[in-house]
Amino acid sequence: MITEITEKNYDSLDPSAPKLIEFYSKTCGPCKMLSFVLKDISKQKPEFPIYIIDFDENRELKERLGVKGFPTMLFFKDGKELSRLEGLKQKPAIIKAIDALA
Amino acid sequence: MSNKIRFTSQDHLITRQNRAEQEFLAAFAVEKPTFEQPKVVINPYLINPLCALVMFSTQDKVASTVTIHGKRYERENITHTFAPATDHFLPVLGLYEDFANTVTISLPDGRATTLTIQTGKLPEDVCRCLNIQATLDYLGDNIMFLTPAGKNLPTAYDYKGDIRWLLTENTMFDIKRVKNGNIITGSSRFCHMPYNCTGLIEINLLGKIYKEYRMPGNYHHDHFEMEDGNLLALTQDFSRETVEDMCVLIDRNTGDILKTWDYRKVLPMDKGGSGSQDAHDWFHNNAVWYDKKTNSLTLSGRHQDAVINLDYETGGLNWIIGDPEGWPQEMVDKYFFKPVGDLSKFDWQYEQHACVVCPDGDIMCFDNGQYRAKVKEKYIKNQDNFSRGVRYRIDTKKMEIEQVWQYGKERGQEFFSAYICNVEYYGEGHYMIHSGGIGRENGYASDSLGAFLDMNDPKNELRSITVEEKDGVVLYQLETEGNFYRAEKLPLYHGGDNLALGEGKLVGSLEVTEEFDTVPDAEEVFALPDSFHEIFIEEDEDRFVFHGKFEKGTLVMLCLENEGESHNYFINTAAVIHLAMCSGAFLEKDDRDVKIHVSKKGLHGIFKVKLIINEKKYQTGVTICCP
Repeated sequence: MITEITEKNYDSLDPSAPKLIEFYSKTCGPCKMLSFVLKDISKQKPEFPIYIIDFDENRELKERLGVKGFPTMLFFKDGKELSRLEGLKQKPAIIKAIDALA
Repeated sequence: MSNKIRFTSQDHLITRQNRAEQEFLAAFAVEKPTFEQPKVVINPYLINPLCALVMFSTQDKVASTVTIHGKRYERENITHTFAPATDHFLPVLGLYEDFANTVTISLPDGRATTLTIQTGKLPEDVCRCLNIQATLDYLGDNIMFLTPAGKNLPTAYDYKGDIRWLLTENTMFDIKRVKNGNIITGSSRFCHMPYNCTGLIEINLLGKIYKEYRMPGNYHHDHFEMEDGNLLALTQDFSRETVEDMCVLIDRNTGDILKTWDYRKVLPMDKGGSGSQDAHDWFHNNAVWYDKKTNSLTLSGRHQDAVINLDYETGGLNWIIGDPEGWPQEMVDKYFFKPVGDLSKFDWQYEQHACVVCPDGDIMCFDNGQYRAKVKEKYIKNQDNFSRGVRYRIDTKKMEIEQVWQYGKERGQEFFSAYICNVEYYGEGHYMIHSGGIGRENGYASDSLGAFLDMNDPKNELRSITVEEKDGVVLYQLETEGNFYRAEKLPLYHGGDNLALGEGKLVGSLEVTEEFDTVPDAEEVFALPDSFHEIFIEEDEDRFVFHGKFEKGTLVMLCLENEGESHNYFINTAAVIHLAMCSGAFLEKDDRDVKIHVSKKGLHGIFKVKLIINEKKYQTGVTICCP
């Protein structure tokens, strides 16, 4: 399931649940491509929560999480960032990172 | 607005040269040219306008001699005697441009035929010699070959600064004469930005390509001929997220990769970074040298300010020459050297190029000096900086290092090159120092690399200065327009076969280009993309290159489709910051212009080329044939 969030509701997410947070920009071709990749992954793993956040409009959160560019994917479990992928990635690399959260 | 797609399908240059050779050989067979009236073909292999081929037959097997007359004096003549033959195919090299050259062919019996060979003008933007200090006594038969660092062309200059050799193909990076007398340099065929080309080419000075050694990870920067003729070449694995961190050994006959050295196995990728380092190009390997005495590879890594040495067999790390600041203490203790001798004259090298192992084991390199420090707070501005050739003596038992020679520090910013360049060892005390990457703004050393300077601004200039010094005395200096990657002093003719007839070959292989396994939803429309995109597709025998213009942030995918299958390639339209640009040959003026290369390896059949631009899939009307 893919949900768009902002820094205002980021802190209300269940901190312990495994999740993927993706920072994107509307001005970025690789981010547009990644949105289709994430859609595919979401079909394959409908229960796994994927949250997307606009990099340009959520500056406080990106600084808090140390996100320097877009697209950036952060993989969380138990409130901790376990891994991070920067740039456009194909499905196998993202699924591997998701599976590592299990 | 009209829509238009440009498409070219051209045989590989090797195939075109093979055809040209067949044509002049057929004409030779029909015309039966004599010694008195030989057949002359100017630029027989299509890419060197300053050469010709003179053909004739003699009754007896005799050695013929060619003399290219100097423009001014007889002592400027270039003369070469070829092996005895009855059918003579004589390369005439070193013609002056836009000039009625006098060329004499002579036989041992005293007969001589004098020809006039008229050459044309060279391209207007060719890089000219601005100043030269040289003598015929010093240079002899040699001329100075410079390899391009941008869209300029490989060019060679004589003792007067006249251009005597030029290729109209933008071949790249290192140029070396190998044992059989041929030249090996980088191909001009684009593969991956910023400057990766398909591989190496082995050519003669007429420009005939004997072989192109294609490499799956492409070629960049440097290569080295081994004693058995096999080639070391710098490359990478594009399936990884890092570049310029591998070396391979190439079989000279087949082009197959025989051995690989991966520096990620022996170096940390996030330590000791130079001012230009990023995670992608963490090492930036720009030179390789094999030393038989120690059976080791010496490699220069610009982005770690490090010259490293690896065991040839195991790939294990032996030592590192460089400023140890910022490296883990256990590595400093084990691999780094301690400076000894006159420390007031000692400097480490930074962002260096072109490491050389001298016969006694000393290590030379071109110390570009960019940033000249390991931490940002200490970085030195280019206009306060210097570049130099340097020679270090190392004691690998005591792990001590002594600087025994340098040239260039005293010249300050005037000789400063932020990138590229090389040194050559000719003998004890006799060196070449090529500072080919000088970029100036308003007369000061620029903080930008040459490839990024706006040359439409009259206050900006690019320069290349090549110096030769013997026993502390400068005996040669060449200053040209433009930036040149390396310099190599060579005679035009050599004692081997200066021309071998027969078909050139493509060996080795390109990669299977990575496809994208997700295809965005897009509505297929039966229309061409808007002409704004300036779509241009260049098909070659073994690959094609797609060019297009897209606003930043556009979603673009190239699709190859036929009834049975489809192959999809993502095209990145995001802004890319290049921290290194050792060759700007493939750099576009407009950063919205993008290009990708797709290898035909792994593809079979005829495919329609389509293009997804945001939410629509467009036709191009182009089909690509993959045998």
